[in-house]
Amino acid sequence: MSQDRHSAFLAVDAEALDWALRMADPAQADWDAFTDWLEADPSHVERYDRMAATLLDAEEALTEHPDVMEPPRSVEPVADHRRGALRWIAGAVAAALVGAIGLQAWDDRSQPYAVETAAGETRVLALPDGSIITLAGASRVALDRADPRRAVLERGEALFRVKHDDRHPFAVQAGGVALVDLGTVFDVRMGQRQTRVAVAEGAVMVDPNGVGLRLDAGQAVLVEDGRLIRAAVAPGDVGGWGDGRLAFDGAPLSEVAEDLSRFLRQPVSVAPAIAARPFRGVIDLQAVRRDPALLGPLMEVRMRRDAVGWTLEPRG
Amino acid sequence: MSPTGIEAVFLANREKLVRFLAARGAGDAAEDLVQDLWVKLSGRMDGPVANPLAYLYRAADMLMIDRYRSRRQAERREQDWAEGQGGPEPPAVERALVARQTAERIAATLTALGERPATVFRRARVEGVSQKRIAEELGISISTVESDLRLAAHAIAALKEQIG
Repeated sequence: MSQDRHSAFLAVDAEALDWALRMADPAQADWDAFTDWLEADPSHVERYDRMAATLLDAEEALTEHPDVMEPPRSVEPVADHRRGALRWIAGAVAAALVGAIGLQAWDDRSQPYAVETAAGETRVLALPDGSIITLAGASRVALDRADPRRAVLERGEALFRVKHDDRHPFAVQAGGVALVDLGTVFDVRMGQRQTRVAVAEGAVMVDPNGVGLRLDAGQAVLVEDGRLIRAAVAPGDVGGWGDGRLAFDGAPLSEVAEDLSRFLRQPVSVAPAIAARPFRGVIDLQAVRRDPALLGPLMEVRMRRDAVGWTLEPRG
Repeated sequence: MSPTGIEAVFLANREKLVRFLAARGAGDAAEDLVQDLWVKLSGRMDGPVANPLAYLYRAADMLMIDRYRSRRQAERREQDWAEGQGGPEPPAVERALVARQTAERIAATLTALGERPATVFRRARVEGVSQKRIAEELGISISTVESDLRLAAHAIAALKEQIG
């Protein structure tokens, strides 16, 4: 290794590193100020490139090896709609452009991209390995063209119909929950408080590097505050939303409202007084999309409409 | 997606983007790159973009970072040849092993800074969570999040200098 690589870390490098951090953060990026800084000294651009590339290298290394840095026990079901969309999208687009103008081959590099849906929309993604992901509304999944056997559910819900390969299991990360398929159709849902994994066919292994909980068809697990809670499900109901049915077996109305907000175009909230009330039943999404007021008699609530959406309220 | 929104933003800011790409190292190719970028991006935006101008800038920025990374990789390969270490590409298994070891070094470097800076870096930069949200989660101020992030970034840059 040549000696000049060990050259001192100059103040201007630290400055470049700060720019690299800022420009990757949509909340902080000031492109005019950045242009001025670049123009102020011709050496700035190379220093910035080096720092930005170093950070991206590190981030990609950690993304590809999620287990080397175990997240702390508190499992965070993230539902932050502002999370780094810009970085992901821009990264994927830029990588595609590089291919288009014929620079280096990227085959052994990670090529992240993300797919997201608006509320009320579902989307079917066919992966190159033959696996199929059905993405529910208001959801987002991050994928990698270089490794189609890996998916990160960033928010919302997705049904995975995985082409099983013993030598290369399909891995899904959802918040702090990691799982690998053992031959499978399974659903992953990230809620405000908890993340749920439910298996329709085959089996999955949850937290393969930790407790290694195996779930078979008809089994589910809720992850809340880092605790794993087993639950049972009707296998036919898992991912039923893909066929336009939402089935609940005693879920609190707050959770039902959260799901409905994903599948209808308007957000649905619930009055605190009945948020914990359990609901059992099957909702026909197509009918409810046409007329959300139908939920009233079905769920024994009053549906109040306001400027943004619907609120479930106690009757009478 | 109506052609008006983002296209109007693009046209109004075309000169600024060219100036940015020129400063960003594209030199005389800046004009062409801006055009390429627009052709590629305009066909891809199938949803609303919150801040189209920032999006265009970041895409341009990422393009230049990608070009830098490709160049660097090519240079490294040439250097290996010059130093007599050239040869067939190492097999995939070996590459995967090296990648894993690098990830482990990075993780160890971050962990050595303490749990909080390591968590802040992971949440912000690997998982893309906003600084505001991280501050709320950890019950710390945004300026603490920022300084943790800088600490972690510096440690990673130092590690990079060290392992080359």
